[in-house]
Amino acid sequence: MNGSVRSSAGLIWRHQRLVWWIFAVNMGIAWLSSLSLRAMLKPILDRSLESAKLVTGFDVGTLALLAERPEVSPRVLAPGAIVAALLFVVFLLFIDGGVLAVFLDDRKLSRAEFFENSGLFFWRMVRLALYSAVPFGLLAAADGSMAKFAGKLADNAPQDWLGFAVNVGSKLVIVVLALFVRLWFDLAQATVVRDDERKVLRTLTHSLILAFRSGELFASYIGIGLFGVATFGIGAGIWFYLPHSATVASFLILEIVTVTQIASRLWLKAASARWIALLPDEAAFSPVPVQVTQTPVDGVTDVQAQLPDPPMSE
Amino acid sequence: MENCCRQICLTAIMLLLTTSGIAQSAALSERVVAYQIEGAYNANTHTLDATEVLTYTNRTGTTLSKFPFHLYLNAFQPKSTFMTEAQQTGINGMGTDSGWEEKRFGSNEVKSLEIVGSGDVTKQIKFISPDDGNADDRTVFEIALPKPLPPNQSVQFRIHFVAKFPEVVARTGYKRDFLMAGQWFPKVGVWWNGTWNCHQFHALTEFFADFGTFDVKLTLPAKWNVGGSGVMTGAKDNGNGTQTVTFHAEDVHDFAWTADPSTKVVEDSIRLSSGTVKIRMLMQPGHMSSAVRYMDALKATMRKFDEWIGPYPYPQITVVDPPHGAVAAGGMEYPTLITADTAWLMPKSVLIPELVVEHEFGHQYWYGMVATNEFENAWMDEGINSYMEAKVMDALYGKSTSWVNSRLVTLSERGMYRTEYAPFADRDPLSRQGWLFLDDSSYGGNNYGKTALVMLTLENLVGEKTVMRGLHAYFDRYKFKHPRPQDFTAAMNEAVGQNLDWYWKQAVDGTEILDDRILTASSERADWYNKTDEKAGVTVYRNTVIVHRRGTFDLPVLLEAKFDDGSKVRERWDGKDRWHRFTWERKAKLVSAEIDPDHGYPLDRDPFNNSWTAKADGNASTKVAGYWTLLTQWLALVLSCLT
Repeated sequence: MNGSVRSSAGLIWRHQRLVWWIFAVNMGIAWLSSLSLRAMLKPILDRSLESAKLVTGFDVGTLALLAERPEVSPRVLAPGAIVAALLFVVFLLFIDGGVLAVFLDDRKLSRAEFFENSGLFFWRMVRLALYSAVPFGLLAAADGSMAKFAGKLADNAPQDWLGFAVNVGSKLVIVVLALFVRLWFDLAQATVVRDDERKVLRTLTHSLILAFRSGELFASYIGIGLFGVATFGIGAGIWFYLPHSATVASFLILEIVTVTQIASRLWLKAASARWIALLPDEAAFSPVPVQVTQTPVDGVTDVQAQLPDPPMSE
Repeated sequence: MENCCRQICLTAIMLLLTTSGIAQSAALSERVVAYQIEGAYNANTHTLDATEVLTYTNRTGTTLSKFPFHLYLNAFQPKSTFMTEAQQTGINGMGTDSGWEEKRFGSNEVKSLEIVGSGDVTKQIKFISPDDGNADDRTVFEIALPKPLPPNQSVQFRIHFVAKFPEVVARTGYKRDFLMAGQWFPKVGVWWNGTWNCHQFHALTEFFADFGTFDVKLTLPAKWNVGGSGVMTGAKDNGNGTQTVTFHAEDVHDFAWTADPSTKVVEDSIRLSSGTVKIRMLMQPGHMSSAVRYMDALKATMRKFDEWIGPYPYPQITVVDPPHGAVAAGGMEYPTLITADTAWLMPKSVLIPELVVEHEFGHQYWYGMVATNEFENAWMDEGINSYMEAKVMDALYGKSTSWVNSRLVTLSERGMYRTEYAPFADRDPLSRQGWLFLDDSSYGGNNYGKTALVMLTLENLVGEKTVMRGLHAYFDRYKFKHPRPQDFTAAMNEAVGQNLDWYWKQAVDGTEILDDRILTASSERADWYNKTDEKAGVTVYRNTVIVHRRGTFDLPVLLEAKFDDGSKVRERWDGKDRWHRFTWERKAKLVSAEIDPDHGYPLDRDPFNNSWTAKADGNASTKVAGYWTLLTQWLALVLSCLT
């Protein structure tokens, strides 16, 4: 575990109430959005002996027949779920400023401070999110193209596993690239909050340069991403082997998985926030001019050496 | 003396050979057609240049003056009826947005047609469109005979044709070096019900042809593995990079063949009541892990059909495993040759390889031998075969796990058929001609799903063994014939010993929906006027269940009521009214009531409203709603990657 991972893990641990709050909102919004489904399912299932097929096992035929009923059809329910998900995204955008302020200062903010930061940076976070849709959209398009190409490859190559392998391989590359994009925008978010920077596009440009220089931080991102995948895999594995009738235990496990995913995401934010917090101002905002001046510092002329390695310096 | 002995020995040997020859070729069917086809396949252009000599024997009892022929490969042309229908419904990957490519066109061109003894009649070929009048459809042509053909006389057609195969589409064509040649030669129509039956090739429908013999000689690249209907009778390397293989098939009504340089041949045999049957599988190298699954499923299926329906009378069954990109050629039946379907990474818990092999082998009975008209009565082959699929798969892999059997989820044949049928229950009657169905979902949901459910529901009415006995009798009576729907229902009525026309009328001719439900159920004190406290085992309750026939399908209803003293009662209602009230006065309260307690009416579209429990149990609704909540939570997390 490198320093960045360790220090940001400490941040998450110290400010774990953020994880629990976000989880509570995530679950609360989703729960509210599924209330109508719950109400519509009750008269169908609660007094029907047929419903046992969904409790003592999970019979796809029974579930499909249920889903074919217009009132509980996924097509009818999906818009509600999407709206709920978007609400959660808006909530996250709103609290991003507060969360990053907590991570940057590594202290518990008062409620007023937290929401002041949240409100102060909300629209800047929205703008960053909208900008991030561009690279993420490009990656999604690349993924779609690769999937199509892999499908054709599977159809046309003598060995159909080749298409599968290309699909999996390209997805892995795209996930790594997506992590890099996330790192880039996380650095921008942290910079915006640290410096109360209003020029979002300028910050993005600098953050991109920083992202390319932050090899160790990117390694941390991959490590934390793997942690997220591993916890998801372990949770899913435990859930897989639970008896079908253990409904409460199943939900408990899957909600724990949800918490770990939220924690992983905050961990990434914390890592980039700590990295930015330990970065001198001039290094963050004047990388190009510094290269031109090349002022010797303690006998070192390479300007890259001026950039600290924040996690390791702790 | 020596000469005499030799003469006697030779005569004896000749007699023996002749006798065995007769035994081998003893006709199982009324052989109407005899095809002799000789062709050369060009692997570069995917074309076959061939000559077909068709000897047609008039067994119709009437004089014939004209003959219709199918040219199925012409369906793969832009203005054909097939393509028009496919584009309308978007089936077979041929919707208007599917980006149809030139390579997916196919054709069947008759270069010359001669009636042996009467001369060349090529110029008299007239394309007809008996189903929709589409003048651009060239899948059926007609030829008038210079001299009418009296009953029991034969006529011989010599047809030179070129078949151009499309890249695999709708069961036939090539993919790289793989070729599945189905519906590739000019095929004569069937004289049926006093007229020629020769439909155009439609997007939804399959085929119909007469029984006979096939002798096929094909020249194609050397070292390619070749499979075909019937048995391979010869293979010769021509020394010029080509080989010539010959096949013979008898008492079949179609001939399909396949060739591929990379397939691996897996051979085995099985001993059945009809003798030893050779199993020949042509496997894709990447699919070898499915070979054992195919083989086990095929053998088990063959045994079940042998036991339940009748003997498989052919010496061989060939299984073709198409490559990944040729999945449109998979899951298809031809006489004594079937195509399977799998993938290189097919989980063991998903029984698709087993199911496809089972289904297609079942067609050797319901299509192959009992050769119904697939254009007009698709339910008679696909549907009855789907019912058999449910029976065999249930017997082999478990009633509730015959489709998917994983720890996480299960899916049964019945569940699958119900899901296919329920949304399309009121669209099309089974008796509708195949190409007139609303769309492929209704075609599949009804012909496959509904028919299977109709037969499974019939089991509950007359008994499982009785239905199987009826099918066995129907098979015995109509094997190597072309039965009509009324032949099937009459045979079943006879075997059952009841007139079930009331059932067939609703199930086959109508779109009636079976949906009985428990409208209300209650337990009230019989002495409601009495102010004393209720006492378990003393107080008398009036227990009432009202059953409502919500659908339009009349079936007798069996209701089971359970009481809190542990007793239960089963009562019947003839289902002749819209609702019925069941009442029991006893010293116990209702615990539950259930229509069709043995779950023998899978045709019932809504199983959820068939039962009622006094005590509500929210486990299922909590579970389903809970998972939906989780999905929403995770969707939110995925979208939050933007923040």
